[in-house]
Amino acid sequence: MKKFKLSKLVLIALSLMMMLTACGNQNDANNSNGGQGSTVDITDVHGVVSVPINPKRVVALDNRTFETLSDWKIELKAAPKDVMPSDSTYVLDESVQNIGNHREPNLEIIAAVNPDLVIVGQRFASYYDQIKELVPNAAVVDFSFDVSKDAATPGKNLVNGLKDSTIALGKIFSKELEANKLVSDFDDAIESVNKAYNGTDTVMGVIVSGGNIGYAAPGSGRVWGPMFEIFNWKPALDVDNSTSDHQGDDISVEAIAQSNPQWVFVLDRDAATSDASQAVPAQDVINNAPALQNIDAIKANHVVYAPKDTYTNESIQTYLELFNNLAKALAE
Amino acid sequence: MFLNFKTKERGAGVSQPLRLHRSKLWTKSFVFLCVCVIILGLISLFTGAYDIVGQDDGLQMFFITRVPRTLSLMLTGAAMSMTGLVMQLITQNRLVEPTSTGTIEWAGLGLLMVYVVFPAPSLVLRMGGAILFSFVGTMIFFLFLRRVRLRSSLIVPIVGMMLGAVISAFSTFIGLAFQMTQSIEGWFVGSFANVQMGRYETLWIILAVVIFVYVYADRLTLVGLGEDIATNLGVNYNTVILLGVATISLVVGVVSAVIGNLPFLGLIVPNIVSLARGDDLRSNLPWVCLLGMGIITACDIISRTLIMPFEVPVSLILGTFGSFVFIVLILKQRRNR
Repeated sequence: MKKFKLSKLVLIALSLMMMLTACGNQNDANNSNGGQGSTVDITDVHGVVSVPINPKRVVALDNRTFETLSDWKIELKAAPKDVMPSDSTYVLDESVQNIGNHREPNLEIIAAVNPDLVIVGQRFASYYDQIKELVPNAAVVDFSFDVSKDAATPGKNLVNGLKDSTIALGKIFSKELEANKLVSDFDDAIESVNKAYNGTDTVMGVIVSGGNIGYAAPGSGRVWGPMFEIFNWKPALDVDNSTSDHQGDDISVEAIAQSNPQWVFVLDRDAATSDASQAVPAQDVINNAPALQNIDAIKANHVVYAPKDTYTNESIQTYLELFNNLAKALAE
Repeated sequence: MFLNFKTKERGAGVSQPLRLHRSKLWTKSFVFLCVCVIILGLISLFTGAYDIVGQDDGLQMFFITRVPRTLSLMLTGAAMSMTGLVMQLITQNRLVEPTSTGTIEWAGLGLLMVYVVFPAPSLVLRMGGAILFSFVGTMIFFLFLRRVRLRSSLIVPIVGMMLGAVISAFSTFIGLAFQMTQSIEGWFVGSFANVQMGRYETLWIILAVVIFVYVYADRLTLVGLGEDIATNLGVNYNTVILLGVATISLVVGVVSAVIGNLPFLGLIVPNIVSLARGDDLRSNLPWVCLLGMGIITACDIISRTLIMPFEVPVSLILGTFGSFVFIVLILKQRRNR
C-alpha cells in the first residue's frame, strides 16, 4: 500500500512537470507556427486532411494508435482510458483526461482541451462527424478501416490500414524513420508467418469471453477473421452466414471437436480488461476442456494465445508480437 | 356479499377438481408427459455437432458432453420451474418468478461483485456471491411487498421488474467502472453450449432442493393461503417464508453461476400446471418438474439445431416462447374478470 502511494506521488509530480513543460512548449510552438505553414497532408478514409507537424495538443481515440504514440513519447491531452490497456502510460498519467468508453463517451472533454489534432478510428469512428463539429479548428484524422463482412478484402484492409496509419503518424510527429522501421518489421513478420504455415493444416480462431467460446468467422471480424485472408489459412470449419462481430457465434465444444482443427488460435477477451497478473481463464476453457482433449491441436500443443491486451490494444506492435508468436509456433 | 361468497365457493371448487384423486399420481396424462420427456431426453442425447456414431471416440464424447448436457437440462428445468412455483405460492401472486422479482438481477450483481473482489474467481466463489445476493435481493422484495400491501396481481411483478431494473442499472454502472460489461453480458445470456463433464456437477445440489420442497410442500401450500390462515393452521409463517426464499436463492444462484439467465421458465410452467390441475403443491410438484424439464429440453434442442453447427443461446428461444405464453396468461386473466 505504501509503495503504491509513493508511486502515485511520483506520478503526480511527474505529470505536474509534464504539464509545466507542455505549457512552455506550447508557447514555442505558437511562435514558430506564426512563421511558416508547417503542415503535412494526410490521406484518411474521408479524404485529404492538412495536419500541423508536431501538434502539441493531441487527442487520440483510436486504440490501434496508442502504443505507437506512447513509444514515441507523444503527449496526449485526452484519451478513452476505459477501453485502453490498463498498463498504458496514458491510463496511468493523470494529466491525460478520460473520455470514457465508446458507448457513452464524454465528447465535451475533446472540445474542452482545445486540440490541434484529433485521431479518430475503430471504436470511435461513428463519432467522426460529431467530433468535427465540436472542434472546427482542429485537424481530425480518421484511421478506421473496414474488416467487417461487407469488406471485399478485410485482410488486405487490416494490413494496409495498420501500415498507412503508422506512416501517417510518423509524418505528423516527425518520426518517419521509426515508422518505416515498424512497417518493415511488420512486413517481415507477415512473411515469416507465411513461410512457417504449411498450407494444409486446418485452423480455427476462437474468442473466449466469460467462459464461453465464440467462433471467429474466417475472413472478417476482430483479430482472427482477416488473418485467414492474409495468410491463406485453411479454415477447420467454414459456414455461410456466420456472424463476424467481436464476440463470434456461440459454438459448443462438440462442434470444435467435430471439426478437429490442427491449430487453435485464441483471443481471450477478458484478459484485456482484467488485471494482467491474473490467471488466464481462456486457458482453462480451451486447454482443460474434457471434450477437446482428443483434437489434433490440443494433442500437438498447437494452441496459440493472442497477447493479453490484444482486445483493447490492437496496435501494429500487438500484431507484430502476435505474428512473431504465430510464426514461432507454426515453425515448430 | 352473499352472492359474491357463493361464486367464490363455486370458483374454488372448479379450480380444485382433482383433489379427490390426489393419491393417484400415475394417471394416463402423467404417464404420457413422462414418455414425452423421456423421448425429448433421448433426442437431446442424440443431437449435437459431434458425430458420436462415426468417430472412434464417439462413446467417450457421448459421456463427456451429451449426458452432462441432458442431465443439466433436466436439473435446471425442474429447478427453475419449481422455484417459480414456490415463489408464486409465498407471494400469492401468479405472475411472479425469479426474473420478474429482480432475483436474477441480484444474482448477476453478486457475480459481478465476486469478479470485482477476487481475480479469476472459482465456481464456488461465484456461486456463493450469486446465492448471497439473490437472497438479500429477494428478502428486500418481500419486505417491500409487506410494507406496501399491493394486492393487485399485476402491480407485484411490475414492482419486481422495477427493482430489478434499478439493480441491473447499478450492475451496469459497476461493470462500466471496472470495465467488465462485456464479460457480464456474455455470461448473462443463458447457454448450455459449454456444458461438459467436470463443468456441471454443481447442479446436482438442485436435487437436494427438489426433495426439500417436496417434503415441505404442504406448509408452503398453507402459506400460499395468506398469513392469517397459515398462522391459524399452526404454521410459522415467517419461518416458512424465510426457508422458501432461501430455497429460491440457492437454486437461482447455482443455475446463474453455472448456466446463466433462463427467463420465463418459472413463470409459465407453474401457471400451465395450475390452470390444468388447481393449486395443490404436493401433487403438482411432479407435474411442474416434468413440464419444466420438457420445455427447456425442447428449447435447447431447437437452439442446437437452428444454426448448426453453431448454437443460439437457449435463453433466446426460451424468452421468445415464454413471453408469448406470458401475454396469453395475462389476456386470459383479464377475460376471467
